[in-house]
Amino acid sequence: MAGWSEKILDIDLRTQTYKTYPLDMEMARLFVGGRGLGARLLWDMVGPEVDPLSPENVLIFTNGPLTGTGYQTSNRFSVSTKSPLTGTILDANSGGFWGMQFKKAGYDVMIVRGRSEKPVWIEIKYDVITFHDASELWGMRVFDLTKKLGQNNNKRNVLCIGPAGENLSRVASIMNDRERALARGGPGAVMGSKNLKAIVVEGKDRPAINDPERFKFLLYETRKLLAASPLTSQALPEFGTVVLMNIMNNIGALATRNHQQTQFEGADAISGEELTEKYLVKNASCWACPIGCTRYSKTEKVEGEGPEFESTWAFGAQCGIDDLPAIIEANSLCNDLGLDTISVGSTIACAMELSEKGYMDSNLRFGRADQLAPTIEAMAYRRDVGSDLADGSLRLATKYGHSELSMSAKGMEMPAYDPRGMQGQGLLYATSNRGGCHMRGNMVGSEVLGLPKMIDRFQVQGKSSFVILHQNVSAAIDSLVICKFTNMGVADEYFARVLSTVTGIQYDTGELTRVGERVWNLERLYNLREGFSRKDDTLPPRLLNDAPTEGPSKGWVVQLEPMLKEYYRSRGWDENGVPRPQKLEELKLADMLVRN
Amino acid sequence: MPHVKLFANLRTLAGTKELSIRGSTVGAVLNDLVKQNPALGEILLENGGLRPHIIITLNGNNMDDMDVEVNEQDIIAVFPPIAGG
Repeated sequence: MAGWSEKILDIDLRTQTYKTYPLDMEMARLFVGGRGLGARLLWDMVGPEVDPLSPENVLIFTNGPLTGTGYQTSNRFSVSTKSPLTGTILDANSGGFWGMQFKKAGYDVMIVRGRSEKPVWIEIKYDVITFHDASELWGMRVFDLTKKLGQNNNKRNVLCIGPAGENLSRVASIMNDRERALARGGPGAVMGSKNLKAIVVEGKDRPAINDPERFKFLLYETRKLLAASPLTSQALPEFGTVVLMNIMNNIGALATRNHQQTQFEGADAISGEELTEKYLVKNASCWACPIGCTRYSKTEKVEGEGPEFESTWAFGAQCGIDDLPAIIEANSLCNDLGLDTISVGSTIACAMELSEKGYMDSNLRFGRADQLAPTIEAMAYRRDVGSDLADGSLRLATKYGHSELSMSAKGMEMPAYDPRGMQGQGLLYATSNRGGCHMRGNMVGSEVLGLPKMIDRFQVQGKSSFVILHQNVSAAIDSLVICKFTNMGVADEYFARVLSTVTGIQYDTGELTRVGERVWNLERLYNLREGFSRKDDTLPPRLLNDAPTEGPSKGWVVQLEPMLKEYYRSRGWDENGVPRPQKLEELKLADMLVRN
Repeated sequence: MPHVKLFANLRTLAGTKELSIRGSTVGAVLNDLVKQNPALGEILLENGGLRPHIIITLNGNNMDDMDVEVNEQDIIAVFPPIAGG
């Protein structure tokens, strides 16, 4: 069937063997691809008895029916696994070129099971799979390794872990195409636990498209829509995502010094405007992307992609640091070592607060830009203070007796948006299936930027419906898979037309949103099966009890309880956050109810 | 005079990050801002009103009522269309 390759590649690292078999197309119709398909497969393969870092956990790499078609931003792919950081279901999603190449190799899914006795890397050339000894590559950093294994953007693409993944840091990322990241939740540690250093892929065939003529027209129309939107044609290419720094600070919703404040006096010094003026070399793009939001920046020490807004915030405002070159260098170092910038920055901030308050014996202090690089190195290699920080802020803060100082939800460090100034974002973090994350829906559009229209960011009543819509649409887009920024110029209704044109299966808008809802509910069921419950749908006490004493969000805490009750009701879940049987029937997830 | 802060490409067009502008309401301040910096008008205004996606805050609070009165302690921030996440 067009869109899908209808093929799963299933690799066993223990025996260094593989097999291929057909993708269940009914499953594909219901879960589409990417995050959705990954969640559905993980449900069957990894139960509550499995330790995330044991050989029994799996890595499920998925693309979607739009991946590699050439539709705008159709470069993305996912990895699904059980998170070693949170213990929840995890999917991490990345752009670049590797996902497109993986699709062109002829697979929808690659499952990686078991653990190799010795370090190994895998080479996929269309239908030829080769296992190579990686003993001499073990220990290499990402940039050198990517080059050594022959990265060539449109022909051969490298996905790998750095030292952080080898050392099983629970905030280790998997990197692809040198500087793109499957970042959050520690998938790099899962890959490291399998002794798998890299997966290199070469493809050849673009996926088949059911109606090529209509597809050409949709490409043309999408190009026009993206060019007509000031967001995708000007805002993102001109200043990148870091342009959000000043507005978040302006409205008092920029988490600062481990969320002790909501405004940072140094925000302008680390803003998109400053980055563009002083450090930007050029823009860069993922495959088939006309938006080009990626910054390519340079300091005296480093040159490369980034930083994005969240990374700049994590090493900047969250650590009380206004030294932009040091932040750019910290971002680059994380990419080279294979670390998630958000979790690393926020974990360092947590350590700074623990140390300043005398709970932890270290010299880490807010504002010390010179401490970033050595601390990041120490985390990747589990050296000195880094051994405490390498597993994220919750484990760190718990070790020192102050778990309340971890700015995380379900153990995943939250990004830049302080939810005391954005009530919906608070509900979103608390209910996110992979923990504190802005990529499982993001209320910054509705609550800050007025996209598609502005809603009162302090409003509580009625907020759950917006959060649910964002979550469902996000899950649908992550299953196609395309970049969420496309949605800033192209309405999500349009994506159903593209999917129908590519696959030949008629999806209307409602059905695509329903796919997102189905994925969200399945992820929820997975977490319930793991033992998560209503008590885990919460936020750090600071955000629930300590109101900012100054700035535009002065006096506000997150009013979580009423929003959560409304959210459960609106989702069709019971008062404990368990999907009701009727809802599961409606979503064609009834068989999961039996097995839950 | 109320204080006006400019962001993103508005800074380049106006040649400054911030300035003080006369006016007793948010709308009057913006009108005077555009009068002093005509290049900003193309970004900010359309058919006599604000263009879509322009964000105005008064002391950090989103503002769509241009008749709100302002005084010299007030800070008006003006953002062109921006995006990210």
